[in-house]
Amino acid sequence: MEIYLPIAELSMNVFLLLGLGAAAGLLSGMFGVGGGFLATPLLIFVGIPPAVAVASQANQVVANSISSLQVQWRRGNVDLRMGLVLLAGGMLGSSGGVWLFTYLKRIGQIDFVIAVLYVVMLSTIGLLMLFESLRSYFRRRRNPDGPRGKLHTHYLVHRLPLKLRFYKSKLYISALLPLGLGFVIGILSAILGVGGGFVLVPAMIYLLGMPTAVVIGTSNFQILFVAANVTFLQAATNGTVDVVLALLLILGGVVGAPIGARIAAKLPGVALRALMSLLILAVAAELLTELLRTPSSLYSLGSREVLP
Amino acid sequence: MRAGMLAALGVAFALCASAAGALAQGPRVEPAPGARPAPGIGGPPDVIAPPSVPPSVPNEPTTPDLIVDLSLARVSITSAFQGESILMFGMFDPPGEIVVVVAGPAARETVMRKQRFLGIWLNTGRQSFDDVPAYYAIAASQPLQRLLARGAGGEILSLEDRLASVKPATPRDAADLARFRAGLVEVKRREGLYPAAIGQVTVQAGRLFRVDLPFPSRLPEGVYDVRVYLLREGKIVAAVSRPLPVGKVGFSAQLAGWASHEGALYGVGAILMALLVGWIGGSVMRRL
Repeated sequence: MEIYLPIAELSMNVFLLLGLGAAAGLLSGMFGVGGGFLATPLLIFVGIPPAVAVASQANQVVANSISSLQVQWRRGNVDLRMGLVLLAGGMLGSSGGVWLFTYLKRIGQIDFVIAVLYVVMLSTIGLLMLFESLRSYFRRRRNPDGPRGKLHTHYLVHRLPLKLRFYKSKLYISALLPLGLGFVIGILSAILGVGGGFVLVPAMIYLLGMPTAVVIGTSNFQILFVAANVTFLQAATNGTVDVVLALLLILGGVVGAPIGARIAAKLPGVALRALMSLLILAVAAELLTELLRTPSSLYSLGSREVLP
Repeated sequence: MRAGMLAALGVAFALCASAAGALAQGPRVEPAPGARPAPGIGGPPDVIAPPSVPPSVPNEPTTPDLIVDLSLARVSITSAFQGESILMFGMFDPPGEIVVVVAGPAARETVMRKQRFLGIWLNTGRQSFDDVPAYYAIAASQPLQRLLARGAGGEILSLEDRLASVKPATPRDAADLARFRAGLVEVKRREGLYPAAIGQVTVQAGRLFRVDLPFPSRLPEGVYDVRVYLLREGKIVAAVSRPLPVGKVGFSAQLAGWASHEGALYGVGAILMALLVGWIGGSVMRRL
């Protein structure tokens, strides 16, 4: 069954889009990240213009984060103070990101920038996660009841000024750190159409040293508002949010997420992280070959301008 | 969808037949010397009767009849739109050959070219062209080369001729410009906007003609121009032009309108929709 997407201006199979949404939802249920990093490249791959894919995906992220925030909030897993500091950075970053997106689109380099950013980011995160999960797997095998070590290690970044106390996260760190982190995630969110959970979650654990329990809820809190900001700005400045496309992705995701959560409950955390890292690396490898392979056509068209 | 097409075809044939019938009952089939055809015999009212319209039609003592209609008056882009095939049909005074040209609205198009840079393929060259038709299709009742070679030329342009005339927005050397032009055609062909195999115009009983005009799902909006020419011995003896509006209708049109005119409001609506569906969907699915 085909449906015409009014903003993307082409018709596409309904079940393909629902399936894409469900796959992204499955990931978000399994790993607690949005799945946008997989959905956006796939949308572009099936022929949705990149600008529409990114903006509509941001709209999907809004729905995805509200439905998981619902649960996290009730369980008290949101560090509101940390969330607000992250959000302040995220708002600045995403607003700048939408501006940057518009500029890159005008000079015809947006597809390239999207692809390169994905490759760099996904391969970095994927490798880090893979090594981390392998290391913890072998460490546990060597001494299963050994000492747990410090809560988190102290780096140079912990000596920055403007220190704030984050009670729920049991942290006393500089506000500049989450502010900067939120800023970077905001830019990524605007350009790549992702919530940024797959960068934000590891960064909160390894860089900020937040306890795992509050990481998912707090990142969801920040992602919800940043994605809403990206949706709004993309709609207001570029007119590229396709609500029909977004709705299909959301409906697919709503079904996929609980299935993913059920799968996650049956698998050990280390295996889950290893699986996730392999998936991320696979997407990165695919995007890299796209960049390196000789394209079937050297030519493409920019946007049509109807002259007065 | 298929049933719809068949119905349209059926209607088209009925129309075709009735048009022919009306003409047969009309004052004459072969125009008498000096007599101009009465306007609107059996044909739709917006048929432009030569010689008043296209100036290239030579001022002959008689202008042969050329009647044209389309199976659809407009291309409506609805939520179920998957591209459209429109039947164009009509009749003419034999002898002669028919040429059909459909052109979409002209606009500036920017062609981008990829190049390998440090092992990575990226867009390095760009060239804008003004006055590029969004859509261009040409069909004839005989191989086009043969018809146009005899000097019918004038305003009938093959795709190659039409694109040779698009003006580059910025200067560039001729050889490279030609490559960009070829790139433009390649992309447009791939998108089905410059259909290569539109098929011949088929002629039945020496005077009824028909041809299917294919429109892809990714179709730019605007008023398309459908022109039909009657050629005799390589000269245009009659021409008819009809506008074919292409536009979104219904829900699609409404959404696209909001997105372009009320972007901020549309954005807020999109966010509220996502919040609502995400909230309800999340609560329902967790209970299952």
